[in-house]
Amino acid sequence: MKARFVDWIMERLVAISGISVGLLVLSVFYFLASESRYAFDRKFPYGYRIALQPASAPSAEAVEMDPNASVITAHMDGLDGLDDKESLPMPTLAELGGVATTGTGSPLVSNLSEADPTQLTRDDWRAWKSASEAETFFLYAYGTPELKEDKVKIRWEPDASYDPKLGVHNIRLKLIQSPAGITAPKVDVDLVAQPSGEIELPAWQAKTDAERTKGYVFKIEVEPMAASNLTATLGGFFKSEWSPTSQYPKYGFLALLTSTLAITGLALLFAIVPSLLAAVYLRELAPRRVREWLKPVIEMLASIPTVVLGYFGLMLLAPGLVSTFGKALSFDSGRCVLTASIMMAILIMPTIVSIAEDTLGNVPAALRQGGEALGLTTMEAVRRVVIPAAKPGLLGAGMLGFARALGETMIVWILAGGTATMIPFSPRALVSPVRGVADTIGIEMANVEFEKPHYGHLFLIGLVLFLLTISINLYAQRVSRRSLSGV
Amino acid sequence: MATGSAGILVLIIAIIVGTVLWKGLPAISWEFLSTGPQDGMTKGGIWPMLRGSILLMIGTLILTLPIGILAGIWLAEYATESRLTRAIRASVSALAGTPSIIFGLFGLAIFVLKFNLGTSLLAGWLTLAMYSIPMVVLTTEQSFKEVPQSVEEGAIALGLSKWQTTWKVMFPNALPGILTGLVLTVARAAGEAPPILLTAAIYYSTEKLSLGWDSLNRPVANLPYHLAEGYRQGGVIPEKIIWGTCLSLMLLVLIVNLAATIIRARARAKLNW
Repeated sequence: MKARFVDWIMERLVAISGISVGLLVLSVFYFLASESRYAFDRKFPYGYRIALQPASAPSAEAVEMDPNASVITAHMDGLDGLDDKESLPMPTLAELGGVATTGTGSPLVSNLSEADPTQLTRDDWRAWKSASEAETFFLYAYGTPELKEDKVKIRWEPDASYDPKLGVHNIRLKLIQSPAGITAPKVDVDLVAQPSGEIELPAWQAKTDAERTKGYVFKIEVEPMAASNLTATLGGFFKSEWSPTSQYPKYGFLALLTSTLAITGLALLFAIVPSLLAAVYLRELAPRRVREWLKPVIEMLASIPTVVLGYFGLMLLAPGLVSTFGKALSFDSGRCVLTASIMMAILIMPTIVSIAEDTLGNVPAALRQGGEALGLTTMEAVRRVVIPAAKPGLLGAGMLGFARALGETMIVWILAGGTATMIPFSPRALVSPVRGVADTIGIEMANVEFEKPHYGHLFLIGLVLFLLTISINLYAQRVSRRSLSGV
Repeated sequence: MATGSAGILVLIIAIIVGTVLWKGLPAISWEFLSTGPQDGMTKGGIWPMLRGSILLMIGTLILTLPIGILAGIWLAEYATESRLTRAIRASVSALAGTPSIIFGLFGLAIFVLKFNLGTSLLAGWLTLAMYSIPMVVLTTEQSFKEVPQSVEEGAIALGLSKWQTTWKVMFPNALPGILTGLVLTVARAAGEAPPILLTAAIYYSTEKLSLGWDSLNRPVANLPYHLAEGYRQGGVIPEKIIWGTCLSLMLLVLIVNLAATIIRARARAKLNW
């Protein structure tokens, strides 16, 4: 009776443990996915500098900021240091002093002709919108009494570091009011298609402060281009520039993924042949006593902490590569794709050796003996009989090594150079500094504000990495099983 | 060629281990191991990090042990072959191959933020335990499978119940394998920086031996994170101390490893099958 009760309890206990461990994979997936949702809260900032200038102003010069130009720029509350400028009122003519032309922008206008210059501020000059939001800005531009020329020009250019091609809004600049008595040319510019330029207009001067809103009025219309924030975020995710902390954040994951794939692929290339050969040696050629101590020694390599391998590469391999090939290949930092992939190859070799050796061991002895009975030497039997029989399993071993390298953080972090740019498609790729997927999570998560788009994107790339490694692992398992059952 | 490849592998291992030993040994002294860092890490020892790593290892071991072993027993002895158990087995081995940084993210989302544990020793334990459990489950299952079927059949023939057979007959036979798997996994976990990076780690700590319940809620310094962060901040820690830290971390992992391997070899020699 007692025994049966204990049996009953334990049966349930082990089942609960087993099933909850089985559910772990689902909960990892759930939490990665649920934290990724913050990625889709992102805003898509845009920024232009737009100024009315005397026609003689040099066009090569950058459009200046205050007070000559009005600036639409990306700024989040409190994060960009622009707060002190936010409440600037429209400057009075006296304040403008020797300035010839000026413009002040505001979105706070319902009736243009009644706009009160003293009420206009740049309070809401923020271009920090989600992909589906529209926005309208007005720009009041006029000459001051100091304006001597009879022509002015409206000039515009994208804000520094803003790339209009990566935006998700249609932005148009339109002239909607000309000063009384002036016939101005039509101004209706697509700021995305033509991110910088200028158009000449007849000069007009505001004689009094009250006239400041009676001059040229431009309307900047911002219309959503993408269907929703979701598609726009995903669109931005599959681009090739990763600069999440810039004023115009870019979350182009492809830069990281290609670097990781390059390092991992190269590592596999370096590791696969020596590993398989070593496995053949261990299983087929080594005397039993040698095998018994050699296998644990090789597996010991797998247990050396990766951060130690990283430092080893940093302090010895990297300088060594630079002093040997630095001149010939013209690179001076050893922290690059090549260094990272060599260390990564060393990291994954034991994994491949160990699994490949097990696979070879699973080939039935009858096959090998059959081969030898036909007069093949040991090596010939291995090459013609054992390896073909174990082929799927060896492939699986390679794939597991690949998956291991794909998610490795510290080696890439320490050795790859840390620059999140797209890896070039040329031999220079070998010596380019790059940044991979896993190490980006480690590097950036420490400085990130929780539950914000950047945080969400780190979870999103984690989710992609998770799905990628898990599918490779599952596929490798299937392939290896086929090797056992097929024989 | 095959022999040469194996030779190259052994050579690589010798070079790496040898270099770390050669560069790190001069830094190691009793004082280095037993005192905290001084003068903004430019002098002094690594005791707080060593202590943190050992604490993390012990806690992970304790948390991993019951669930990992019970779940392994279930897969080996109780789970009947069905679509569900096949799915569970596949997902456990897929998890065992999942990158440690993913567990770091998971731990951050669930333990640090959702359960509101903050960056703390406890969150680090739980995260490392999640990382270790799948591997322990697999090695436990494997160890059970290695016990000859005749042993199990004999026990059942003697009238023992399923659990009695599992616990009194199978488990002692599988124990060496289970223990080795457990210790190897936990040692590997203790050498990983990414999971604790996001859940438990702190860079600068001069903490002494003080250990109380509130230690659970505080972040801990530890060796792998110390090296990672030391790299991030660049050039602060002198090279000699870095090599010393590398060596201490490597030895910590390798000694535990070696012990586990020896225990397994001894225990295997005693079992006559």
